[in-house]
Amino acid sequence: MSGRLTPSAKAALVIGGSVLGATVLLALLAPWIAPHDPFLQNLDQRLAPPFWAEGSLSGHPLGTDQLGRDYLSRLLYGARISLLIGAVTVILSGMIGVGLGMAGGYAGGWLDDAVMIVVTCRLSIPLILVALTVVALTGTSLVVVMLTLGLLLWERFAVVARTTTMQVRHREFIEAARLCGASLPHILLREVLPNILPHLVVVMTLELAIAILLEAALSFLGLGVPPPLPSWGLMIAEARDQMFFMPWVITIPGVALFTLVLAINILGDGLRDLVAGGHAR
Amino acid sequence: MSVLAVQDLRVGFRDGTLAVRGISLDLGHGETLGLVGESGCGKSVTSLAVMGLLARGAARTAAGIRLAGEDIARASERRMAQLRGDRIAMIFQEPMTSLNPAYTVGDQLSEVYRRHRGAGRLQARDRAADLLARVGIANPGLRLAQYPHELSGGLRQRVMIAMALMCEPDVLIADEPTTALDVTVQAQILRLLQDLQKETGLAILLITHDLGVVARMADRVSVMYAGEIVESGTAEALFGRPMHPYTRGLLDSIPVPGKLRPGDQLKAIPGTVPRITAAFRGCGFRDRCGLADRGCEDTIMPREEGPQHRYLCRLSSELQGQAS
Amino acid sequence: MTALIDEAGPAVSVRGLRRDFVRGGGLLSTHATVRAVDGVSFDVSHGEVLGIVGESGSGKSTLARLITGLLRPTAGDVRIAGRSLAEADRRQRARLIQQVFQDPYSSLNPTQRVRDIVALPLVAQGDVPREERARRVSEMLALVGLDPAVGERYPGQMSGGQRQRVAIARALVLKPRIVVCDEPTSALDVSVQAQILNLLQALRRELNLTLVFISHNLAVVEHIATHVAVMYLGRIVEAAPTAELFGSPRHPYTAALLQSVLTPEPGKGIPRIPLGEGFPDPAAIPPGCRFHPRCPSALPACADASPPLRVDAGHLVECILAPETASREATSQVHAGLGP
Repeated sequence: MSGRLTPSAKAALVIGGSVLGATVLLALLAPWIAPHDPFLQNLDQRLAPPFWAEGSLSGHPLGTDQLGRDYLSRLLYGARISLLIGAVTVILSGMIGVGLGMAGGYAGGWLDDAVMIVVTCRLSIPLILVALTVVALTGTSLVVVMLTLGLLLWERFAVVARTTTMQVRHREFIEAARLCGASLPHILLREVLPNILPHLVVVMTLELAIAILLEAALSFLGLGVPPPLPSWGLMIAEARDQMFFMPWVITIPGVALFTLVLAINILGDGLRDLVAGGHAR
Repeated sequence: MSVLAVQDLRVGFRDGTLAVRGISLDLGHGETLGLVGESGCGKSVTSLAVMGLLARGAARTAAGIRLAGEDIARASERRMAQLRGDRIAMIFQEPMTSLNPAYTVGDQLSEVYRRHRGAGRLQARDRAADLLARVGIANPGLRLAQYPHELSGGLRQRVMIAMALMCEPDVLIADEPTTALDVTVQAQILRLLQDLQKETGLAILLITHDLGVVARMADRVSVMYAGEIVESGTAEALFGRPMHPYTRGLLDSIPVPGKLRPGDQLKAIPGTVPRITAAFRGCGFRDRCGLADRGCEDTIMPREEGPQHRYLCRLSSELQGQAS
Repeated sequence: MTALIDEAGPAVSVRGLRRDFVRGGGLLSTHATVRAVDGVSFDVSHGEVLGIVGESGSGKSTLARLITGLLRPTAGDVRIAGRSLAEADRRQRARLIQQVFQDPYSSLNPTQRVRDIVALPLVAQGDVPREERARRVSEMLALVGLDPAVGERYPGQMSGGQRQRVAIARALVLKPRIVVCDEPTSALDVSVQAQILNLLQALRRELNLTLVFISHNLAVVEHIATHVAVMYLGRIVEAAPTAELFGSPRHPYTAALLQSVLTPEPGKGIPRIPLGEGFPDPAAIPPGCRFHPRCPSALPACADASPPLRVDAGHLVECILAPETASREATSQVHAGLGP
């Protein structure tokens, strides 16, 4: 399969994959590699600049925030939050979307119509307004953010799972499996799912990036992760007041967010080419 | 005099596979030449190479491709576009893929005539209606206004033939023209091609895997295997006295009514077609041949069995001995 | 398992089978009913090979799926070895009847290894231990002429002929007595077609299989079938023992089909087929005899009334022109035509 890939697709897989992999690794190892406790305030050392600027403090390579917390440590722990929310959202929305999509695509008929109506309804729900309402009712928490995003971001999974299932459903190996006496769960999980999985992986990268961006946006608006958790969106929000005097406080989490989302999208492009190449054979 | 003469045509792909390895064809006015072989033998690549329609990544060389006296082996793409559809036309297995679903049959037929002959709209319409009638379509006026998807498979193939004949070409390349059709329709379409050929003196290069079709249609037959013509001759000679083990194998592997008793085994050819690269020497069929020995790994010289009947096998006289 | 098989009666018994498909029927379009199979009855005895021939639109593939239970009939009944297919659960059905599909590139799941593909019917039974599954898969692969080591491969790594052998191994691993083959060689090259036909013949003898063999290739059907049924627009218009049908066809459509066969005999030319440019469209079935618009010898009466069913010593024809030599009363006699 890889022999058919264009050099640019190969580069996309390598670059996107290694940046995402490195971020995951850093996030997992944060408790051991972070120089400080990300929650530890030190009001004597507030808003210290990063190492390349004049007046930087040793021990705080990326400086400190307005409460004197180590910015590198907060960035590393923030990666955990971003990836955790992204992963949980993708798993939750993936299960909902793939379940609905495969059910509609395989069964057809009224069930398929019902699935399409549910998808259409979901598309008419304004995400930010729902988040606002939920927060107003329950208050902010990590779990609320993950549930809100997970329960709302499944429509792409549903649409892709539905169309790819419809394509696979009419292949003769599905009929052969039915004649072999295979049960419905077996047919869906062993015969259909492996054949649509490559397409779902592409959607997964897309949704991961979207979930991470939305978490940042919600946190920035104060609807997401509650302080003092070190979320990148929250870090950007907290840095708003200082951005004209100390631009790094907003640039550092901004660049981190941009790089991670870009890497995931590049990886997704590479995976898409890989899937297309696999089907061309 | 030949209207299409191909000399030493070779086609290679980027991955090193040689699809066509030095084949020569000669097609006379009003003649049908059958090119037979199984999938992967290079017969369709041959036709695309002659038409100058090979995909990117395929390289063609030829000592000469002469169409009605003009050498088109080195013709420009512009010149080839003029010739295609005018002097040399092609029909394919699945007419739906070569008809544009967005235009009516009449538009598509007229377009060919207007492009190549500069004819006016009405003149082209008349010509289209005339040709639909000539290919045995009962109500040409109705069909001209219809879209391809409104026609049955047999009608579509008739429309394709009409389109191919709009400019009265010298040569028609028919690549598996009836493979997608039902048997009764197949016979009707082949009959039509024969009748049109008698009327116009069209030369037909008929490419097929179906030995029955080629036996009934072709004046001369070339059998392709692994990019080479392994045997060629008149239809009578080739089917009456097949010399190459592959030709014999093909003929023995199809059930023919009255030839076998119920329950008899067919003679299958074991194995599969090898992948041929530049380093390959000798007979391409030797791995599947019951007669082959070490000598078949050397370059095989062509032999003759009567006038125009040539084959590429050094052992087949023994084969004939065994059979009789 | 053996209790499922009724040795005395027919292996396959089909009565009054009908299947409608509904096309369209959205908010703005009207329903169109397509009757793909319309009143088909026949029996196949144990050990026989029933060839079903017909052109596209004849309903032969729909019939195959009705016989295997992939489709439910709109009306009528299929009994396999005396058991109604409608009453069998999926495991019983899998032990009774299996199918070999047309396209071995599509009938094998590309994401699974060959050994898992062949083992699927055993896994689905739910009570076959792992070691026995592995043993029976190896046995089956050897039986269809494959090296059991190919079990580790994926379908994408095999040739068309090898894949069709895998599909046959999968169909036979539960030792069903009846196998439906729907155009099993039409996606294959002629030399490979011969290998597969020989294999089916050999397996049929060895395992005493009953085959329902569907094909558009009359030469292939003549070679492999003991009895032949000709379908046109959803009905069996003629059925007889193979030699009888090919030797003296009685329906004008059968005659035209046989005329259309092109044997590799140079000099015989292309036959003139007197069928016109019409084609069978299951969405618009003509009244009366459904073949009459294309029939070269149609009478005015053919457009009005359905043709009578005529039976003569196991040869049944639905045509007004067929010689009226035998009674046309009991349907049981009709079925005896294809029965023992």
